[in-house]
Amino acid sequence: MTSLADRQAELVAALTAGAAVPPGFDARLVEAARVALLRKRAGEVARQWPELAHGLGAGWVRQFAAWAATRPTRGSLRDGWDLARDLAARRELPPAAGAELATREAVLVYDGERAPRPRRWPAVRGAAGSVVVQVAGRVRVLRRG
Amino acid sequence: MTAYGVGIGWRPEIAGFVAQLPGLRFAEVVAESVHAHGDLPVGLAELRERGVAVVPHGVKLSLGGAEPVEPARVTHLAAVAERLGAPLVSEHIAYVRAGGVEAGHLLPVPRSREAVDAIVANVRRTRAELSVPIALEPIAALFDWPDDELDEGAFLTEILERTDALLLLDVANVYANARNRGTDPLALLDSVPLERVAYVHVAGGAEHDGIYHDTHTDAVPQPVLDLITELCARRRPPALMLERDGDYPAAAELRGELDAIAAASGYPAVT
Repeated sequence: MTSLADRQAELVAALTAGAAVPPGFDARLVEAARVALLRKRAGEVARQWPELAHGLGAGWVRQFAAWAATRPTRGSLRDGWDLARDLAARRELPPAAGAELATREAVLVYDGERAPRPRRWPAVRGAAGSVVVQVAGRVRVLRRG
Repeated sequence: MTAYGVGIGWRPEIAGFVAQLPGLRFAEVVAESVHAHGDLPVGLAELRERGVAVVPHGVKLSLGGAEPVEPARVTHLAAVAERLGAPLVSEHIAYVRAGGVEAGHLLPVPRSREAVDAIVANVRRTRAELSVPIALEPIAALFDWPDDELDEGAFLTEILERTDALLLLDVANVYANARNRGTDPLALLDSVPLERVAYVHVAGGAEHDGIYHDTHTDAVPQPVLDLITELCARRRPPALMLERDGDYPAAAELRGELDAIAAASGYPAVT
């Protein structure tokens, strides 16, 4: 018989990474939990990234959920950051969300793999038409998209 | 345990509201949101100075995980309890990660002997570092495991007896589980050791597609308040507290919910 650890991991994969629901579970209820989990994550990321959520407007929960469905959370700061970078790379980041992303990029170093940490040197960053400068931790928005 | 009466889950968004509750003697804070050694969040230090008991409530230990709890998380919880001078700490009978992947939510464990053994081992590892008691909270689960061997009462009783832990009973979870499983919430109250209840959570929820979700972002429904009355008729817990985690309503509405908990339990209003 499979160990409890393996079976717990299978259930997490079904809920966070699009894996099949393990045998014996009520698929309708596990699906309801999966959807509820995505909605909850969308709310948490919206609190951390208000301009991103606002910029995507009425489609925020749907768009975040579609993006997050196969990506287990790495915390709401990084979830929002990863999504904003994906959108920026596809030139789909709303201009209203540019200053928020540029500010984070200017203040913190984030390689997409490890937890973000404070930047030690001044930086200028741009996103979706906004430009931000950071010196000694202080931020100025030079241009808004 | 001291009788504290009606309390509230402290959150930064409602810190101003909580600060102005004249009769408040009990609050809870999410343990992971407090620095073990740095400054306390604004508002929390003031509550401590007023003599309000503040209990750290862990959400990421994953006591129900088959893997051992991470020592750094246990150390943090213990340090936060010291920092707050807390009379106890609390965590969930649930798991939140497996195989290095975060679920982002509290997930149910199977009610099996194997899972009981895993939880008991993790609670013991945690208690070894704590200088105060721990209360364990059963969660609201939208689904059950296919291989449950024990009913919920027997499962909880065995865990509490083997760990000598206290019970954090969430009447909204009791209501949600009973409603979604089609079982009797009073039967659950009668099957757990009520003398071990350290305090009680009260929260709101909403139904979507025939399933009741324990959202903490909706109003507390009347049947949950009725469960408080039923519980207190059996044995009144030392404290009952409102949990609200978003979509914060106006102060008058929050005060109304606290007053409703007071009325249902017979404790004095704190507003």
